Amino acid sequence: MAFPETYEYTDVEIVSFDKAKEMKPYLTKPRAMYVGAPGKHGYLRLGFELDADGKSILRDLDRRVPLIVQQELYFDEELPGMPCVYILSSGGPNIDGDRYRQIFTLKKDSMAFISTGAATKLAKMQDNYSGMLQTIQLDEGAYLEYLPEPIIPHANTRFISDTQLVVHPTATVFYSEIFMGGRKYHGDGELFQYDILSICSHGERPDGTPLFREKFIIDPKKENIRDIGIMHGFDIFANVLVMTPEENIQPIYDAVEAFYDPKLKLAAGITHLPNNAGLLFKVLGMETGPVKKVVREFCSKVRQQVKGKPLPPEFPWR
Amino acid sequence: MKTAHLLQMTDSTFPVGTFSFSNGLETASHMGIVHDANTLEQYTRSVARQGAFSDGVAALLAYRATNAGNPDEVENIDRELMLFKMNDEARMMLQRMGKKLAELGVKLFPDCEIMSKWLTDIKEGKTPGTYPVAQGIAFAAAGLSEEDLFASHQYGVINMVLSAALRCVRVSHYDTQLILQRLCAESDALFEEAREMTFEDMNSFVPEMDIFASLHEKGNMRMFMN
Repeated sequence: MAFPETYEYTDVEIVSFDKAKEMKPYLTKPRAMYVGAPGKHGYLRLGFELDADGKSILRDLDRRVPLIVQQELYFDEELPGMPCVYILSSGGPNIDGDRYRQIFTLKKDSMAFISTGAATKLAKMQDNYSGMLQTIQLDEGAYLEYLPEPIIPHANTRFISDTQLVVHPTATVFYSEIFMGGRKYHGDGELFQYDILSICSHGERPDGTPLFREKFIIDPKKENIRDIGIMHGFDIFANVLVMTPEENIQPIYDAVEAFYDPKLKLAAGITHLPNNAGLLFKVLGMETGPVKKVVREFCSKVRQQVKGKPLPPEFPWR
Repeated sequence: MKTAHLLQMTDSTFPVGTFSFSNGLETASHMGIVHDANTLEQYTRSVARQGAFSDGVAALLAYRATNAGNPDEVENIDRELMLFKMNDEARMMLQRMGKKLAELGVKLFPDCEIMSKWLTDIKEGKTPGTYPVAQGIAFAAAGLSEEDLFASHQYGVINMVLSAALRCVRVSHYDTQLILQRLCAESDALFEEAREMTFEDMNSFVPEMDIFASLHEKGNMRMFMN
């Protein structure tokens, strides 16, 4: 039986970044399973809203392998009414030709916490790339904390993502991503040996008014990633976008310290997004533990300002 | 006359206010991270690369829109560039220098309708008025080429950092001139990439520099405006 060229079995929206210039060198057809094959075109739609009693619940859920979510849990001791969801992948690491689509929607006044069950590993790729398209939409007064585990790019991997944040002026989204330089302790160390990471996040209002656009392309084989100003001596980079009502921006900015500690090899800085959309926070470090801690501390300050509660201590096994 | 225009608009005494900005160098130098010619070259290279794939792209797009006689597209580019600027001080610097060049531009190129419309719209708050867009319009008005524009843009970015370095890093004029020469030579390769880019492709990855800028914004060591 002849295998279909592409996408024959995909009943959800097709994800493709083939037109992105930076992915041009990586458009060969995978020799293994074709792009869009079942299990290689993940899809996840999560919809949160208030139920009749005013409790935030996961009302809408649709998924395609390899993406899985467990039932929502209410384990946050500081915000016991907040549903918490872990995204898992039954397929292991992202491999050549994988495509993912994630859509998170929070209706009026609902809240949610979303994370991943483990680090997202990006395996070595030889022909194609892996890509993820995300849409995160928050209605009036909604509140989302997105704190996934780090992304670990293996040697010669390629990954591109596009995240659209559609956020009402009264809603708050905390969107964080942690990028490791690679498998630091694999063999003699595998840092910045990947081909490319291309990460774009853009914010807008529900009426379509654009607020900001951030795109970074990390191409360690082309640029001097270790130069001062780029990664310099650091191995891990975290990027956090916070979109929040205007009145919250300055208090959060004032509560957050920018620092650069050469002994701990840990640094963080904060700045204002354009158009009073919110804040952008960046962290550089050497190991995931301290970087995650700084990101969580920042999240705690955001939660304190918006919900009047801090983040609970992290689980000891995370 | 074209060469004279190129020299005039690239000259560091061209009155748009470049002297007051150090691009976070002051913090990096205060912390001892940029402390000699080698570290200064690395830092300046990061600034130049970042400038090429954001402001440099916007300048080229504005140049093309001006030559195509499309003022709406010029203003669209202006707004798109502001969406991409993730730092208050960077936004302020871009707008301050942009407006100055527009005010000067209407006098230097009185026949350029796009420049005068653009200045009017800046004053009325219809468009942000960023410096790379101003450069694009001015270079088109002067009949200069895309290569000239990009070279001048990169020279300006590199020279701004190096001029500031003479005041806060232990380097000599010989050091800075050699760095300037080497980094300007690297601009050709950046141009080949930047000329193919649109907004979708504009990108910037200088996390350590972003942290320096934040430290500067939050701190109190101030000799320059950013």
